Amino acid sequence: MKHAQVKEAAAALFNDQRNPFGAFSLGSDTHGAATIPDAVRRCRWIAVDINASAFGLFFVSPSAERARLVACFDSDYPSTAVATKFISGANGEEMVRHSRTSTAPRWWADEAVAGSPRTFRDLAWATPVAPLAPGTSGIALPVHADRGQCGLVVFLGSEMTLSDDSLYEIHARCFALFAAVARIRPGDAGGTRAISKRELECLKLTANGNTSEEIAKLLKLSVHTANQYLTQSTQKLNAVNRNQAVAKALRLGLIE
Amino acid sequence: MSSPAALLESDASGPRLTSRGDLTGFFMQLAADIAADSYMLVAIVHDQDRNDARIVSSNWIFDAIELIGKRLIANLALGPLTAAPGMRPKPLVAAHAPNARALLTGEEARLLDVLGHAEIYSLRLNVGHQRLFVLFSAAEPDRIDVTGLMKAQLQCCYALSGIPQLIAAAAMQDPLSDRERECLFWVSEGKTTDEVAVILGVSSNTVNSYITHAIQKFAASNRAMAIATAIRSGII
Repeated sequence: MKHAQVKEAAAALFNDQRNPFGAFSLGSDTHGAATIPDAVRRCRWIAVDINASAFGLFFVSPSAERARLVACFDSDYPSTAVATKFISGANGEEMVRHSRTSTAPRWWADEAVAGSPRTFRDLAWATPVAPLAPGTSGIALPVHADRGQCGLVVFLGSEMTLSDDSLYEIHARCFALFAAVARIRPGDAGGTRAISKRELECLKLTANGNTSEEIAKLLKLSVHTANQYLTQSTQKLNAVNRNQAVAKALRLGLIE
Repeated sequence: MSSPAALLESDASGPRLTSRGDLTGFFMQLAADIAADSYMLVAIVHDQDRNDARIVSSNWIFDAIELIGKRLIANLALGPLTAAPGMRPKPLVAAHAPNARALLTGEEARLLDVLGHAEIYSLRLNVGHQRLFVLFSAAEPDRIDVTGLMKAQLQCCYALSGIPQLIAAAAMQDPLSDRERECLFWVSEGKTTDEVAVILGVSSNTVNSYITHAIQKFAASNRAMAIATAIRSGII
C-alpha cells in the first residue's frame, strides 16, 4: 500500500471510532482488537464530548462479601489519579450494590461549584448520590458485559454538558467500551482460579438437581471423582458448601 | 417529542414504573418514538436444560405469538442479531434477507411478514442478572430509526432498573412467600439450616419447612436445584 493510502485508511479508522454512533457496529473488528491504551483513547473521546475533565473505568468485583470497585484505568493512564484511589476506597460499597442491579446513572456535585448540579438535576433518569471522591462533581454510569461482568464508568468535572438525549448516547458508548475492555481482561473474578470444564459440568448437573451418584453415572465417573470435582469447584469459588457454589456460579454466569 | 419518562410518576429517585400498566404505556410510547409498530419485552429463563421465553409485556397480537411460538422467540432473543447496549443493532428482515435463513424456516418468515413483523430488532437489556430482551418490529423494512433505537435501549435499561420484582413477578409468577424467599436466599449464601434459624430468629424446624415448601413449589428435587431455579428466574 502506498503511503497516502495508509494515511487515508488510518484517518477513516480514526473517524469511524471517533464518530459517536457509527463506530460500534455488531461484530466489527475494532472490538476484538482493542487494547487498554485503545480503550483509554476511546474513553477520552467520550470525556471530551461531554466536557469532562477526568474519567475512570472500574470493575465491580463479583463476590458478595468483598464489594468493591477495582480500577482498570483512568485519565492519568498509565499512572493512577488521586480521585480514582478515593473511588476504589471505602466509598464504593453503595455504588457497587447499585451497579449490580441497575443501569441508572448516579451523579454528585461539589457544593462549592454552582453550575454542575443544574446539568445533572435535569437528567430524567439520573439520581443523586454521596460524592464518590471529595471536592469533585461527577457522574457514574453502570455498565455490564455479556459474561456477567459488571463495571462502572465515572466522569469527573465541574463543567460537564449533558442532556437526556446525549446521556443515552454516552452511556451506550460506555457499554460498548466496557464490552471491549471486558474481553481483554475477562473479569476480575475476585481471585477465583480457573474452573475446569469438568468441574463446571458437575456444577451444572448439581444445579439441575442431580445427586453425586447421578452425576457419576451421567459422566461415567466414580462417585468419588464427581465429589472431588465438586469440592474443588466449591473451593475455587470461595464458597462454603455446594449450595453456595451453585449460587455463585450462576450469578457469575459460569453456568446457565 | 414527548419523552416516555415524562409519562411516569417521578419521585426523589427519578421516574418510576410502578405497575404493569406503566410498563405497557412506557413501551408503547418508546415504540412510537422510533416508528416501530410493536414491542415485546421478554425474559429468557433456563428451564429443564432448555431456554424458555417468558413474555413480560408485549403488544403483539395473540395469533402472532401462538403461530410463531415461544421457542422461536427465545431463539430470536438469543440469536446472533441481538445487540447489547452500545452495539449497532441489525434487523432481522423476515422476507428475503439471507440472515433470516439460519433462524427461521421459509414458512415462519412468511408468517412474521404477514403478521406485521417484516423487520425485527432484538436488543439485549443489561439489568442486573436477568436475561432480558426487547424486540421492536415494524410492518415494513427500513422504517425503524436505528439511532433512536440505540437510545431507546438505554431508556429501557434505566426504566427496568428500579423494578426487579415487577419483572420477576411478570416473567414467572413468583410462587414463594417472603419467608420462603428469605430462607432460600440465605441457603444460597452457603448458610446451614441452623444458621438460617439464628439469622431469622425462628426454629430450625420452621426453616426446614419453609425450604421444603420452596422445593415443592419449584418441583425441584433438592436444595441446589431450588436455588438454581430461583436465581435463574431472578427471584433471589
